Amino acid sequence: MTEGQYRHVYVVIEHIDGKLIPASLEMLGEARRLFDDYNKRYNLNEKVVAVLLGHNIKDLSKTLIEHGADAVVVADHPNLKDLINVIQTKVVNQITLSKEVAEKVEPSYASEYLRPRYMFFAADSIGRHLSSTVLADLDSGLASDVNKLVISDMSITHHIKTGGKPLMYDKTLEMYRVDFSGFLWTTILCLDNRNEKISVREYSPQACNIIPGAFQPIDPDPSRKGIIIDFEPKFDDADLKIKVLSQTFVKSEVDFENYKTIVGFGKGIQAAPEKNIKLVEEFANLIGAQVGITLPISKNVFSASPATTSTYMIPARVIGTSGSKVGPMLYFAIGLSGAQQHLAGMEESGFVIAINTDEESPIKDASDIFLKGRMEDVLPLLMAEIKKEPQLVKAK
Amino acid sequence: MGQLNIAVVVKLEPDFSAGSISYNPDGTLDRSNTKNTLGPHSKIAAQAAFYGKVKYGAKVCVGTMSGHIANDALPIAMDTCDADLLHVYSDVLFAGADTIGTAEVLKHGVGKMEAAINGKMDIVFSGHRATDGETGQVGPQIAWKLGLPFFGNVIDYEVDMEKRIITMKRLLWTRGFPEIIQVVQSPLPVFIAIDPSYKYFFNTASLRLTAEKYKREAQERAKNYKSLLTAFNCVQLGADKTLIGLTGSPTIVYNVQRVPKGKVTRHAEVLDGSNPEHIRKAITAMKDALSAMVIK
Repeated sequence: MTEGQYRHVYVVIEHIDGKLIPASLEMLGEARRLFDDYNKRYNLNEKVVAVLLGHNIKDLSKTLIEHGADAVVVADHPNLKDLINVIQTKVVNQITLSKEVAEKVEPSYASEYLRPRYMFFAADSIGRHLSSTVLADLDSGLASDVNKLVISDMSITHHIKTGGKPLMYDKTLEMYRVDFSGFLWTTILCLDNRNEKISVREYSPQACNIIPGAFQPIDPDPSRKGIIIDFEPKFDDADLKIKVLSQTFVKSEVDFENYKTIVGFGKGIQAAPEKNIKLVEEFANLIGAQVGITLPISKNVFSASPATTSTYMIPARVIGTSGSKVGPMLYFAIGLSGAQQHLAGMEESGFVIAINTDEESPIKDASDIFLKGRMEDVLPLLMAEIKKEPQLVKAK
Repeated sequence: MGQLNIAVVVKLEPDFSAGSISYNPDGTLDRSNTKNTLGPHSKIAAQAAFYGKVKYGAKVCVGTMSGHIANDALPIAMDTCDADLLHVYSDVLFAGADTIGTAEVLKHGVGKMEAAINGKMDIVFSGHRATDGETGQVGPQIAWKLGLPFFGNVIDYEVDMEKRIITMKRLLWTRGFPEIIQVVQSPLPVFIAIDPSYKYFFNTASLRLTAEKYKREAQERAKNYKSLLTAFNCVQLGADKTLIGLTGSPTIVYNVQRVPKGKVTRHAEVLDGSNPEHIRKAITAMKDALSAMVIK
């Protein structure tokens, strides 16, 4: 690989009507931590570059610098007011491929600069698609829903990439993502093809979209210095025919915010899904709780009546990294084993009671009380006892 | 006014419904004992295409990439959208591709569908994301390769056939904000990844009647779907071998491991859930812990 052509980490910032989304600062925090270490280890001076698109958003630059950006590239234009994928994709790549921007970011690396070394996006309904099209345009690799990042020099032996020989890949970004089951953690690498017999090709940037909530922002430091680079975007007339007619905030289908108690259930309902979901519903009603589910339940793993399916087995009820993060005073984990990605969504609960048959399941170590038994046996007993304690009923 | 041409790209996925799915003892998917079916999000994309067929008389084409030509997803897709033609893109060279390598094949697939109907596509639909890979990247990447503007999370669409303009409602979410409904208008052609919450609705008796007619037709055609099916390998598709499969994939899966057990964040008191005495103990502990909660 031509070392000097790929530099810096570009972090694509998201905001809604000029308000930064939390994931923007989380991504910057992780980029900062990674790059402080990276620059020290490799004796380099590569930068954390925030890419900010929108209209009347320049004021956000200061916040981004306080949260770890060395440079903020601002494309501020009325045509960027609305979230339109094709327009944003083109402007992001005008920025990533700009030598002029690279010159301002770090002059000593600018002469050879071609592209970013790494790129981060948020894994939400904006960043997920934007990262896909930006990387399709750059013809490089993208990992999605990442929740851990490591930069390391790796010896790789791969039948295609290296022709079966061990080769060193320096400064490789290890991108960890949890699969749909919640139990497998996959490491994705974006690697150049170095197999002369097949095809030799360099892939840069190594990019990922990052699960909101996966990383912590750094503590803001008002004395941090950074540069703000104004960028003049160009637009294609055809793209400007796309018009956003309106944008309205709506209340989400399931409200977790206003409940003191949440009852989450998982695959433990499987013996009699319909009956057991009704039991959970009855329990939740008794204590005035909102009902949440684990990710697999939202995939219609079990059959139940259409009413039950459309009320409970829906993505809007998912608690975890693929859904909502909740922090009620009381959380009941019913018949769920505690996959990492579910735990990430409920670990901030005040008090956790698990109902589960398996003492080895991970939920035990995330609970204050572990009621051992089948939910269909335990819940009726629990309800009978709670009914004797009227002050516990309807704790909403 | 012209014709409306719709392509739907669908995916065969593990069947997550009861009885079809099998988990290993460690909670991971047992792929060898799990049946496959049309992915649920692909099915919703096919339903969106069916809406176009009923409402605008669209011609509907379905394409899928598959290791086998006998693809269980296709009769279901046919039954869902009453497709006019079915394509399967099948070649060992396609195997092991990441999202870019997959999108490259399906880009050529859309080109073949256009050749077959001798016209350009006005709308290409994909599902929101696959239930097994869950990246949600392939749809937007095909769009980019086709040079079509991409719209994700579309929950509703209407076409002005005179002006060749589509109006879409999109549901956007990001953590920390309420959901957003965006109404956006674009000239055709477009690429749409349909939102999981999409549901079509026919608001007149006449449209409902048309829908019923096409549904009956679809059932018949689904039975004979193989007669409507054309298979393409890499050469027939005209895809560049260096841009597909493992060779054309920038990323690799380097390692798969069990998610390490999280730190012990709490020290659970284990109680017997069948013992009323223990249940009362649980309630007392809960009450003590929540005494600050002021339950009234």
